[in-house]
Amino acid sequence: MASAGDRVEERGEKARARELERALEREFSVVCFAWDGTAVAHRGADAAAVRSRVERLTALGVDIAVISSAGVREVDHHLGARPGVEGRLFLFLSRGSETYVVGPAGPRLLERWRATASEYEGLDEAAEALCRRLASAGLQVDLVRDRLNRRSLDLLPDWAGPPGASALELRREVDARLNAAGFPGGLEEGIRLARDLVREAGVAHAAVTSDARHIDLGLTGKADAMHAVARVLVAGRGRAPEDVLVVGDSFGPVADGQGTDSAMLIPELQRSVFVSVGQEPAGVPSPVLHGGGGPVRFLDILHDQLAMREIVAQTSFPEPTDDPGWRFEVKGFDPFREREVETWLTVANGETGTRGALEEGSAISTPATFVAGVYGDGTGDPAFRQPVPAPDWTGLRLMADGSLVTLANGEIVDHERVLDLRHGVVYRTWRQRLRNGRTIRVRTARFASLADRELMAARAEAVPEDFGARIVWQSAIGVTHAGGSIKETEIDILEDPPGLIARTRGRNGGGHVLAVTTSPAPGSPVARMPQQARDVIGGRLEQGDPATVDRLAAIVSARTRVPSPEVARHALERARDTGFDALLERHRAAWDAAWAAADLRVDGDPEDQHALRFAIYHMISTAHPEKDTVSIGARGLGGMSYFLHVFWDTEIFVLPFFIYTQPETALTMLTYRYRNLPGAREKAARMGFRGALYPWESADKGVETTPPYVYGPDGEQVPILSGLMEHHISADVAWAVWEYWKATGDDAFMVDKGAEMLLETARFWVSRAAEDEEGRYHVRVVVGPDEYHEGVDDNAYTNVLARWNIKRALEALAWLDDHDRARARELRKRLKLAGRELARWRRVMEGYVTGFDPETLLFEQFAGFYDMADVPLERLRPRPMAADLLLGRDVTLVSKVVKQADVVMLCHVLADEIDEATTRANYDYYEPITSHGSSLSPGIHAAVAARLHDVAEATSYFKMAAAIDLGDNMGNAAAGLHMATMGGLWQAAVMGFCGIMRRGEALRLDPQLPAAWSRVRLPLRFRGAQLHLDLRRHGDGVDVGITVAEEPVTFRLDGVDHELTPGAHRLRRRDGGPWRVEAL
Amino acid sequence: MTLLVAVADAGADRAVVRAARALAAAAGWEVRGVHVREPDVPEPASADLGELDLITVDGEPVEVLSALVRRTTVDAVAFGLSCPSASSPGTWVLGHVAEALLDNHVAPVLLVRPGMRTLTRLRRLVVPLEGSPSSSAAMRAADEAFCARGREILMLHVVTGDVPDEAGSLPAPRIMDQEHYEWPAWQDEFTLRFSQCPKGGRHRIAVRVGDPATVIAEEADTGAADLIVLSWSGSFESGHGAVIKELLVTAPCPLLLVPSGLPDAASLT
Repeated sequence: MASAGDRVEERGEKARARELERALEREFSVVCFAWDGTAVAHRGADAAAVRSRVERLTALGVDIAVISSAGVREVDHHLGARPGVEGRLFLFLSRGSETYVVGPAGPRLLERWRATASEYEGLDEAAEALCRRLASAGLQVDLVRDRLNRRSLDLLPDWAGPPGASALELRREVDARLNAAGFPGGLEEGIRLARDLVREAGVAHAAVTSDARHIDLGLTGKADAMHAVARVLVAGRGRAPEDVLVVGDSFGPVADGQGTDSAMLIPELQRSVFVSVGQEPAGVPSPVLHGGGGPVRFLDILHDQLAMREIVAQTSFPEPTDDPGWRFEVKGFDPFREREVETWLTVANGETGTRGALEEGSAISTPATFVAGVYGDGTGDPAFRQPVPAPDWTGLRLMADGSLVTLANGEIVDHERVLDLRHGVVYRTWRQRLRNGRTIRVRTARFASLADRELMAARAEAVPEDFGARIVWQSAIGVTHAGGSIKETEIDILEDPPGLIARTRGRNGGGHVLAVTTSPAPGSPVARMPQQARDVIGGRLEQGDPATVDRLAAIVSARTRVPSPEVARHALERARDTGFDALLERHRAAWDAAWAAADLRVDGDPEDQHALRFAIYHMISTAHPEKDTVSIGARGLGGMSYFLHVFWDTEIFVLPFFIYTQPETALTMLTYRYRNLPGAREKAARMGFRGALYPWESADKGVETTPPYVYGPDGEQVPILSGLMEHHISADVAWAVWEYWKATGDDAFMVDKGAEMLLETARFWVSRAAEDEEGRYHVRVVVGPDEYHEGVDDNAYTNVLARWNIKRALEALAWLDDHDRARARELRKRLKLAGRELARWRRVMEGYVTGFDPETLLFEQFAGFYDMADVPLERLRPRPMAADLLLGRDVTLVSKVVKQADVVMLCHVLADEIDEATTRANYDYYEPITSHGSSLSPGIHAAVAARLHDVAEATSYFKMAAAIDLGDNMGNAAAGLHMATMGGLWQAAVMGFCGIMRRGEALRLDPQLPAAWSRVRLPLRFRGAQLHLDLRRHGDGVDVGITVAEEPVTFRLDGVDHELTPGAHRLRRRDGGPWRVEAL
Repeated sequence: MTLLVAVADAGADRAVVRAARALAAAAGWEVRGVHVREPDVPEPASADLGELDLITVDGEPVEVLSALVRRTTVDAVAFGLSCPSASSPGTWVLGHVAEALLDNHVAPVLLVRPGMRTLTRLRRLVVPLEGSPSSSAAMRAADEAFCARGREILMLHVVTGDVPDEAGSLPAPRIMDQEHYEWPAWQDEFTLRFSQCPKGGRHRIAVRVGDPATVIAEEADTGAADLIVLSWSGSFESGHGAVIKELLVTAPCPLLLVPSGLPDAASLT
């Protein structure tokens, strides 16, 4: 019979078990655990189960912190986890000396603390002394030196016991050996001796700890690791200590002291939940909860954390953000605007772009999925390079009791679509009263994964509101309405996973394989109907039951062939193994990271804020950070109208956004142009020039892709001259190279690629120039940015930028001579660039005609511009207007009507060389006669007007630019977004209104905020520095808070350079007075 | 489905009847005539109107015709234009009955002026479109009734510099970055947005710059159009109304005026 004492003990154990169970019955945002002994029994134990749970938890948004005394090689090799996105799994290793973050590519070092040389000497002295003392007593011990900031004595180097031996077993063995060697106090005595020796060696601050088998003398310990956890994952992410679960196995007393895990009990985390899964023979200190069970119990704890989340995920449908600043809403259904809506709601990830067409389709829908960088030959006359679009993967048809549920079946009760700009997901909610009087509610969520760019996903839910019904979802792969180069498409049934697979081949080009599977969402009462011919899921539902399906798609592509279907199938399996919810979580995390680098927050004007976030969203989702075989087409990845061709829009309008927020992506975009240098050389040679002439329109091969002609409305053939004559593109690429280099300080790029691009484009400009009798050089028969005037001579934008191009090329070569003489030599040799040629370059450069009049400060837009006919300004209203259409091409060709920023564009791109007075003169002259018949124009005018302090006019142009794709009565966005407008809006906001522009290797600051903007916050990268700027209007002045991290940055204020070191600074300007700078 | 011809005078309205018959044949409608008795006005005889199925009724013409349209399946009503004053022979006006029917948005109205090209077979239509959803009613009507193989519909967009305020409008592009892409894209969208013709009729789009009435008349003339289909927004004094008022005088072929308005959204899907 149990004694009273036993019963008390039993009641105590039950109470402790209940307490532990209650403590673990909730979700933790951070799970922190010791590695050896807690997660795995020993170094050789199988860690696959831990790995799987860790990856699934990180995918669901949980932060994981692994604590170990070992280094990254041991721990990462053992754990082997690869979360889908970096930033959720952290390794705090080497006893708190190192912190790593783990992403798909493996661990990356974040921090490392290293002891001084004298500290290492002290540790060595103490450790060696201890070894000698033990050895002199006949004890064989091993001294392990290759530990960061510590030395470790292995007291059982010849241990032949089971690898998973408990601390108790090891302790017994160690005690036995030490006793036998004349240390009656056993391990306790050994630890005391080590402490004495540490003091004698002058490293008294070193901690002596033991895990029973080892005695460690270390300058850091688990407490340091936990301090790092608190800093990075708790305070650093705005969490509370209560959000943290810490699991160890050795908190209680061991020998003469506490267990190694007791060091994890740091004051900052005293309200966290601490659990021990170890044996803890001497009990655990408060507040640790003892569960025991070792690594098996630890796995159960992780499993329970997963299960709690996955249950939530199974029964909940994702929702868009509530924050109106991040919601792009389309309420109702307007068939007249549906194609614009489809474009606005494009979900893209740089690899693919899928238009926001209705899942069920309609007579007015134009679904399409575009794949960047895959082209084929078009048919028709003329034939030119066109994208190979993928089939439509979004098709899902809903049947309720055999009746197709569409907008035309009955009456629309509610219909709303929301693009969650924050997380790149399009949501649809729709209630339809069917012709039979019954109402059904439908929700969908769709995204193209930013974390795994081959994958797209959608979830769809149908709920019969007031009736029970047989609800069926039918999946389909549809024909894209986009056109393009498609030689053939084959669609087959996919067996495993069950679904559909489509192979698309372009003509003389690349192709894709699209694999799609649709399955019941977890917890939904529907099932696959295998007897149906197509991918069909459904069931008999009661009123209010949700029929929810997950649709997963993978596209794999190749530029010159069709990939193997197996590759697509494996990608689809990857999607299926991850699951919709985890895919969504990873996708959201990737967007969080993207916005952290790029968000531009404007207080005071919600419309402007929306326009900016809309623009940034589409720029981020259209760029591919890694693939240098693709770039950003003029209409993004949401429409076919420009055939995904790449224009100067990318380098001049869009690239600056990436240079200053995501320079790695900018580098990839410039590498696209470097890869296409052979095509540019070929074009120059074909036209009788030297060097590199980039194609006006570029696709996959780097050759000119502009159609040579088009058929007019009456069937007449109209030549297209831009491909022949619009040569400024070469200087635009050179400008982008230089801007990137100066803004990032990426010398490696300049050495490897940039210098060559500058030199070859410069060579082109030298060969392009024709000398007159007076030794001046002209560029004849060109088209400048203003395309109303074709075949002109000495377009100012072209010539000034050409001259600049030559100048910068010479400077780059001189820099290369100093910086990397071997590369300079190699380039000179390979490009056959001799001194005589370079001397000619200087002559030509100095003789280049620019059209500049130093008296009027005006650049004549092209030779003879001033002699053109005037057009009464009232004929140019309202703007924007296509003046060539309204006035007639014969009028615009011979009159001073400018299509878009041309000289004004020059003043913007060379703002650090063209002074304010000249900019003002040219802006005042050309602005009134600019019709803005191009989407490229208003944003730049906004930026320049702001720089000239014409804030009201700048604001007006900003809003004109914003309306290009979003306006109610223009319809421009139907076949694609205007990416140059997106970039122009950002430049207007940052370079114009915030007044942040590069001057040499400094940043000039001259904010001119629109009247409605009270505050602007933005991150920027500049020359290795990470900046966060907070501009606040203060009466007539402005306060600017700048946080600088990583590297110092130089700001040019009132013409004077100020270096801001890492830290917080405040700049103030009042009433037009000078800047005051404070370091905080 | 019936086209009702309002007959006042057999002689004057013979051309109206011929036009009505051609239109009805194209649309698959029946044609009936209606004459509202007036004092001192001889009743026309069916034989004089090509054996037109003619009914004679009493009452106030606007009320009678409105009631007929509402009670029966009348899709359109045809009228002849009248010249109110012999001293101003070029001034053709819409009669008060036709105007009342249009004002009440009762039904489309076919207008025939003496001297217009006789409509005997509908082969070519001109549908002027300013690019706004409400005014595209004319195009929807043309698609629904007349779209067929072998019949050409010209969607004519006249650029004036004014831009419709209405959301969903698609005027000629005000932004043309690269013309060789913008125009085809705009034409595709213009067609998708304002026309749905599943039956295989050929639609052409033409964009002209100038005074709308002048351009429309010229296009109809040079293109040998048989019919001009226009949206009617309720007033002659502004916008489209002023254009229509001028076309009453200058159009070389009959006009079909369709009450403007927005369709049910779902019906377009």
